Amino acid sequence: MKLLASPKGVPQILTGRFGKYDADGALGDAEKAGAWSAWKTSATSMSPGAVIRTISEAGLRGRGGAGFPAAEKWRAAAAADADRRYVVANGFEADPGAMVDRTLMENDPHAIVEGVAFAAFATGASHAYIAVRANLATALRRLTAAVRLAEEAGYIGSDALGAGIDIHIEVVALQGGMVVGEETVLLHAIENKRAQPDQRPPYPSRRGLWDRPTVVNNVATLASVPWIMANGAEAFAAVGDPKYPGTTLVQFAGAVKGAGIVEVPLGMSVRKLLDIATPGTKLKAVLVGGPAGGFLPPAELDTLYTPEALVAKGAMCGSGTVLAVGAETCLVEMATTLERFLSDEACGKTIPCRIGLRRLYEIGARATTGLAAPDDAKNLVDLGNDVRASALCGLEYCAPNPFLTGMRFFADEFDQHFSHGTCPAGVCESVRVAQPVTA
Amino acid sequence: MTDTLPQPYTEAADAAVERLLETQSPQRRLSAPTFTVEVDGKQFTGREGQTILEICRDNGIDVPTLCYEPKLPGFGACRMCVVDVDGEENPPISCSRAAEPGMVVQTQTPRLREIRKTNLELIFSDHNAYCLPPCQNKCPSHIDIPGFLKANTEGNFAESARIFKRTIPFPSVLGRVCPAPCEEHCRRDEVEEAIAIRDSHRYAGDQVLKDQANGIKAPVPFEVQPKTGKRVAVIGSGPAGMSAAYYLLIAGHDVTVYERDPAPGGMLRYGIPQYRLPKVEILEAEYQSVTDLGGQMVVNSELGRDFTIDDLQNQGFDAVCVAIGCYETNKLGVPGEDADGVLDGLEYLRIATLGLPYPGHEGKRVVVIGGGFTSMDCTRTSVRQGAKEVTLVYRRDMKDMPAANEVHEALEEGARAIFQAAPTRVVADKNNKVTGVEFQRMAMGAPDASGRRRPEPVAGTEFIIDCDRVLLAIGQGPQLDWLSRGADGVTATKNRRLAADAVTFGTGRRGVFGTGDVRVGAATVVQATAEGRRSAYAIDAYLKGLDLDEIKTRQTLAEPQPEFLNIVPYTGELKEPRFRLKAMPAEVRNKSYIEYEIPYTQQEAMAESKRCLQCTCEAIGYCDLRRQGIEYGTTLKTLEPERTGFSFRSVNDNRFTGTNHDYIRDDSHAFILREPSRCIDCGRCANVCKEVVGAACYDFMRTGFDTLVTTPLDMSLNTTPCVSCGRCAETCPTGALMPKPRVLEKYEVDESRCILCGICVDACPYDALRCGPDFELSHENRADPQIDLLAISAMERDTEMTWIQHERDWASRAVSAGRQINPGRMLPMLPAGVSGNGKNGQSGNGHSGNGSHADHSH
Repeated sequence: MKLLASPKGVPQILTGRFGKYDADGALGDAEKAGAWSAWKTSATSMSPGAVIRTISEAGLRGRGGAGFPAAEKWRAAAAADADRRYVVANGFEADPGAMVDRTLMENDPHAIVEGVAFAAFATGASHAYIAVRANLATALRRLTAAVRLAEEAGYIGSDALGAGIDIHIEVVALQGGMVVGEETVLLHAIENKRAQPDQRPPYPSRRGLWDRPTVVNNVATLASVPWIMANGAEAFAAVGDPKYPGTTLVQFAGAVKGAGIVEVPLGMSVRKLLDIATPGTKLKAVLVGGPAGGFLPPAELDTLYTPEALVAKGAMCGSGTVLAVGAETCLVEMATTLERFLSDEACGKTIPCRIGLRRLYEIGARATTGLAAPDDAKNLVDLGNDVRASALCGLEYCAPNPFLTGMRFFADEFDQHFSHGTCPAGVCESVRVAQPVTA
Repeated sequence: MTDTLPQPYTEAADAAVERLLETQSPQRRLSAPTFTVEVDGKQFTGREGQTILEICRDNGIDVPTLCYEPKLPGFGACRMCVVDVDGEENPPISCSRAAEPGMVVQTQTPRLREIRKTNLELIFSDHNAYCLPPCQNKCPSHIDIPGFLKANTEGNFAESARIFKRTIPFPSVLGRVCPAPCEEHCRRDEVEEAIAIRDSHRYAGDQVLKDQANGIKAPVPFEVQPKTGKRVAVIGSGPAGMSAAYYLLIAGHDVTVYERDPAPGGMLRYGIPQYRLPKVEILEAEYQSVTDLGGQMVVNSELGRDFTIDDLQNQGFDAVCVAIGCYETNKLGVPGEDADGVLDGLEYLRIATLGLPYPGHEGKRVVVIGGGFTSMDCTRTSVRQGAKEVTLVYRRDMKDMPAANEVHEALEEGARAIFQAAPTRVVADKNNKVTGVEFQRMAMGAPDASGRRRPEPVAGTEFIIDCDRVLLAIGQGPQLDWLSRGADGVTATKNRRLAADAVTFGTGRRGVFGTGDVRVGAATVVQATAEGRRSAYAIDAYLKGLDLDEIKTRQTLAEPQPEFLNIVPYTGELKEPRFRLKAMPAEVRNKSYIEYEIPYTQQEAMAESKRCLQCTCEAIGYCDLRRQGIEYGTTLKTLEPERTGFSFRSVNDNRFTGTNHDYIRDDSHAFILREPSRCIDCGRCANVCKEVVGAACYDFMRTGFDTLVTTPLDMSLNTTPCVSCGRCAETCPTGALMPKPRVLEKYEVDESRCILCGICVDACPYDALRCGPDFELSHENRADPQIDLLAISAMERDTEMTWIQHERDWASRAVSAGRQINPGRMLPMLPAGVSGNGKNGQSGNGHSGNGSHADHSH
């Protein structure tokens, strides 16, 4: 996927080494590009506590969507009383079409392996896993090679760096649906158990893999760690939003001229973000955060691209995808399609997810065929909120998003479908009257 | 003596052991520190590591759950056990959330109820199953039809009659006069033809009457309660009044029945002809069961003429039940109606039903107007009384007649029928004597509220039928003139019915109840008896001093609610056509008042009953889903007034109705029956089978909406590592997994090989093995089974009364725990001593055999 130019003055924390070394090549090339230098100096000179402090000062937060402070997780895992701890890098990237993590894993595998090593060192974990979707063959190959090369060089493994550090990293290929990207499910999958979520708390940092404290971080989070260790916490904290410092990768798709991936600081407005990709003139909405993300109307584009600000608008960072929706699209139809996808991806453990999402889809499907029942609009909202209310996992919590944000920001279009049986965009063919696109 | 000394105690070693215990042993340390948690405003002590649900259960707070298995850690799939915790935005799932010191928990809030209700609605929207069989469902009195048919197949006709009498006291009478709405919905119809349900209970009832003639008393459905000393006056001895009297007598009250006519029976005696219902052999014999119970009968005593409501209450009756029926024939409302020769059909029948010739009827040309049972009786009786020409005229189509199934018999006997015609005037001569009736043809318009098409007159199609007599049978209303005399507070509705509540049967006056036709208008006998029984329960509850509003909700639940759906296609059944009752030839019977249908032989009766598919849910009474559906009001939409229709209602008809799954029943395994359509994917069987039993036969298969807990590739349990322990069936909260009959008399345990692993203790679904303080000694050869496995294996169907009993036990526990089971999902005050279906106490699907079962699955 095409890498777009970052805004001026933004340090390339994640993409800095993209293309600077052959990811299939020798360790020497990667080291020339800067890999492992931070590890070699910090791991021998700093205590685990100092590493956590540095990350804490840098303000690094999870890039997996929720934006939880990484150092907090590490600290909790390090403090928990246990005979063993684990670190898991989540590279499952389950959203359809999302290629952010994949691009990162394929272009700079060493940054991820080095970040995992730091996390393991900081939390006192001797075992770490990098979990990758089984069909990402290139990423798997390169990560496996990076782990092997680092082990051969003595950077990780038993008695790494000659400093008595034991860190064993394993790259695991996981198969399964979208829900495997959810952290408790991911852990079950690594344990070879049924891929279904558990309630949190207890969080994995207290009870994770095989009931041991486990740090689960997104690969992008971990890939930022070596940069922080090399350039200092202040440099990182100075980038982007004060509460959510650092950069993240965003992928543009849909009605934009320049689809691709870009590294941007967190805290930009969605509008500025979108300008990088040159959106089409007839922009109707922006779907932020993948299939379970939320629709933002043009009027809400000044929302900052941070987990907090987006969640307040019913969207989320999620997989880091930003999909521009053109005026020719019917949002009810699109939300229905997304809901069907999410419903089919449900693991089937809980009732609201297994049946509820399906019913949401069915309500949407009725509306797009002009057959909405009188109570359907109300039921859609009630059911959506009830599904969220006690959601077991992130997928379930976010799954009603497309409908809920759609009804929040595009009430008129939904009303046209549910109350009048018309589709303003003229997309839903079965409805009685298709009206021309206005403006 | 050994030469290794014990290691000195160190704190570190102790801590290491503790940690080992914590991380490796599923058991919780008993020494875990305790703390205080507030649940629903009460303070409770919890141990570290306990979940919120465990603390609630330890302290008797019933948090609903469908997926929680006490032997395993919380699973968190069903989302029923959500609770509110102060300071948390979204309610956590209590079965898998550890309690924390100082937590403030609410288990019943409006929001939680809303979430649980939504959740249950979602489950029901994909619950492709049924609770009751359609016949029982459609019976106005909800008789346990599969139950008495099963007793019939065993030749146990007294038991069959007893099951019948639990809901209607008169199997023989109903076996003759019931229109049998049950048969219209029988699932056997899917195979070839509906079961002859009515003829089957008629046979059973007749056997009881035969025994009665030989001095063997008729069975009483429930244990007769000790005398309460309360006195009830029942006014009217028709089906409603006598049915009410019957159940009131069983409940221990003194009952006096007042009848205005010289003999009891009401419409049964004066409205239904002898040839359909022999008065002495059947009606009086069957009514004897009421007098046998101690009922007093006062005849020739009419309400409003001989006594008033005031009089009765002044005489010290604690309750008065008005069941006087409908005796005022509606007027035609056409000119000439008062002509000489226009007769009230009921007046005619009063004399004619007894076989007495009605004056001047022989040789006359008679026109009968109407399409109900009364018109049919008038027609056929007129034929028998030698009328020259009998013409039945009905304004709708034949198939819309309430008495449609009797028409062909009338035609065979020589009557003539004209449909889609309504009278416009009665033609009379100058002496005001009838010479004919002018009719107008009707066209069938749009369907009305009853689902039948509304007849609309077609202009210019008038025709006249010449006749000498006109019998009017176009419906009846109650006589309510007594309301003005000594009945203050009792009122009529604007439809000219007695105003009484549909559930409590209370009128505007305290202690006065109204039931039967007088309340609902002329209806069928079976509806009247159902009314009578329900009113008896309401009056009983009233006499026990219960709150009427409360009775209202309890009573509603006492009735099995019509909840079922999709008919399972029965394609593999052997075709066995229905045994029809033979009738006497038409030319013989049209001159005779003898009962014209020839009853079954015993072989025929048994063979006919054997055709029943017994299509009822075996888990009824044990089903947690049903129970919670009732508590949260998700299945009982039929309770709402506007929903009380006679249409099919389904389990999965609610806000979220959509596509649902229809899985194939798997009875390939010898011991365990799988009905995946009833599965709610709680995962209990999968978890228990894997974690407790160790066989791992089941798991969640497929994803998304199509997820189902089943065997790999849906294969037969025979090809899984199933050990046939039945643990899965025991834990199943619904009827998706059920034990099949199995006979076990003795297990051999080879003690020399036992490693005391305890798995048998964990896995045994019936707690036959227990872990004692010295487990080594606590298992043994069981030459004599301690529990009646045979009885469990007999797998008696649970019956209406026993499952009401189970649900009532559950409800009373919930109430004593201070839980809110409103809106009124409580249970009826039924006569105590309900003893299952009477064979033994061990009815049910084998989930467990006695009252203590209810604790197994919360």
